[in-house]
Amino acid sequence: MKPMLQINSLKKQYGSSTVALNGIDLEVHPNEFIAVIGPSGAGKSTLLRCINRLIDPTEGSISFQGQEIVGAGKKQLRQIRSQIGMIFQHYNLVDRLSVLENVLHGRLGQMSAFNGVFSRYSEADKLAAIALLEKLGLEEQIYKRADELSGGQKQRVGICRALAQKPSLILADEPIASLDPNSSRIVMDSLHANCIEQGIACLVNLHQVDVAKRYATRIVGIKSGKVVFDGKPEELTDRMTQHIYEGKEHQMFQQGVPVEQAV
Amino acid sequence: MKKIRIGHKSTQRQQRWFVGLMVILFFPCFFYLKLDLNQFKDGLHQIPHIANMMMQMSFDQFPDLMDGLLTSLIIAFLTVVISVVISFFLAFVIATNTAPVPLLAKIIRAIIVIIRTIPVTIWVLLAVASIGFGSMAGVLGLIFPTVAFLTRVFSDQIDEAGKDIIEAVKAVGGGWWNLVFNGVTPQLMTAFLASIAFNFEITVAETVILGIVGAGGIGVLLQEYISFYDFKPLTLGILIVFITLFLLEMTTNLIRLRLSGRGHK
Repeated sequence: MKPMLQINSLKKQYGSSTVALNGIDLEVHPNEFIAVIGPSGAGKSTLLRCINRLIDPTEGSISFQGQEIVGAGKKQLRQIRSQIGMIFQHYNLVDRLSVLENVLHGRLGQMSAFNGVFSRYSEADKLAAIALLEKLGLEEQIYKRADELSGGQKQRVGICRALAQKPSLILADEPIASLDPNSSRIVMDSLHANCIEQGIACLVNLHQVDVAKRYATRIVGIKSGKVVFDGKPEELTDRMTQHIYEGKEHQMFQQGVPVEQAV
Repeated sequence: MKKIRIGHKSTQRQQRWFVGLMVILFFPCFFYLKLDLNQFKDGLHQIPHIANMMMQMSFDQFPDLMDGLLTSLIIAFLTVVISVVISFFLAFVIATNTAPVPLLAKIIRAIIVIIRTIPVTIWVLLAVASIGFGSMAGVLGLIFPTVAFLTRVFSDQIDEAGKDIIEAVKAVGGGWWNLVFNGVTPQLMTAFLASIAFNFEITVAETVILGIVGAGGIGVLLQEYISFYDFKPLTLGILIVFITLFLLEMTTNLIRLRLSGRGHK
């Protein structure tokens, strides 16, 4: 099967000395739910942001559905971005807008600037957005202001916004790092279920290995800007985990629960 | 017995140097200006006289003063409205997060620094000199420093709080206009409004003072009363200005408190 996303020897350097990514090769196929694990500072976040060019990579190539992302022009980049959903650790919702407006923001990439600026969303988009919110259990919150919601609810709105793009790939950057275990479970369940159901490939940055093992079809371990593990969750041995988190072992537990007990 | 030292040595030395230098500079400065204590003494017995005249407040000029006050407020309002429109766009052009052309942003930022280093009074004097006395000169002269101030404040707010939202709008494929109007503006609306209220307060105070150099409004009347030693209406004028600015500050404080209090709906 042809990969939908192909990353070749991707490098990102900050300044003259800090190397965040040091030659990443990665292929993503349709319907994959990939967890990217690694200690903080390993470059997980940079990798995800390079894929939709929120960060410009220094070297390498990224091809998404046959289109080259590195070096794409402004218009092409916007078009590519509109097909890639993104979910953020801090949700990145507009606090003063309603939940529905935040979800409709997912449509902005596919609208004219004029229609976008004046919030002239089509009725079909509105219906689809409401349906999404209902599906993720937020029907009571549709007209609330985004800052009235709890963290878990905000993240589900973030998921709805990404799904509203009708993307073929979703990038989730530490989606549950700011949430309690219960909200984390709801958020991961919604993300996982919707991606599988709609055939959306997903790259999730996680630092909890137990969560990664529970949901992922494939796990990619990153350490100091390099891929050190790429395989099925069953193949991720404790030794490998320890190697990935070498020196930062405490980060592989969620809320202090050791890996074995949590799985 | 030797006393135990408790201070931090270099800090103390620094302070001693500072105070010493001020004392040394004070005397030459004092004599340079030829400050005359006798002039001060002679003037002292005038104070009760002037105070007495100022106590006899007259309301004859009340309509004129109110008219002047209204003009001042209108000058301030127009200045702020025009400046808000201009600086809103400039802010997005120069904020590091949203600058479409980095070089242009640098140039505008440099111009703003230049405008801000020139005092407001000079700007108004320049306007008066080029287009003559009156309200138009007031608005024109005040627009430059006000635009510079607001642009700076807005762009700082965008840089500080807009980052997450900008990432989100970019990630869905939104363009520059979407960043500005769908993302940052709604997110920062309260912060912007609070800055505008604060700026309006400053501008009213400036308008009153700058009337004295010919920029129209109540300041022009005050200037006339002072030059004709007409203390009776002057007192009323000062009182009106005081009450206006006091009320204005109370109101803007209230507005800013409301806005920052995140009052829902």
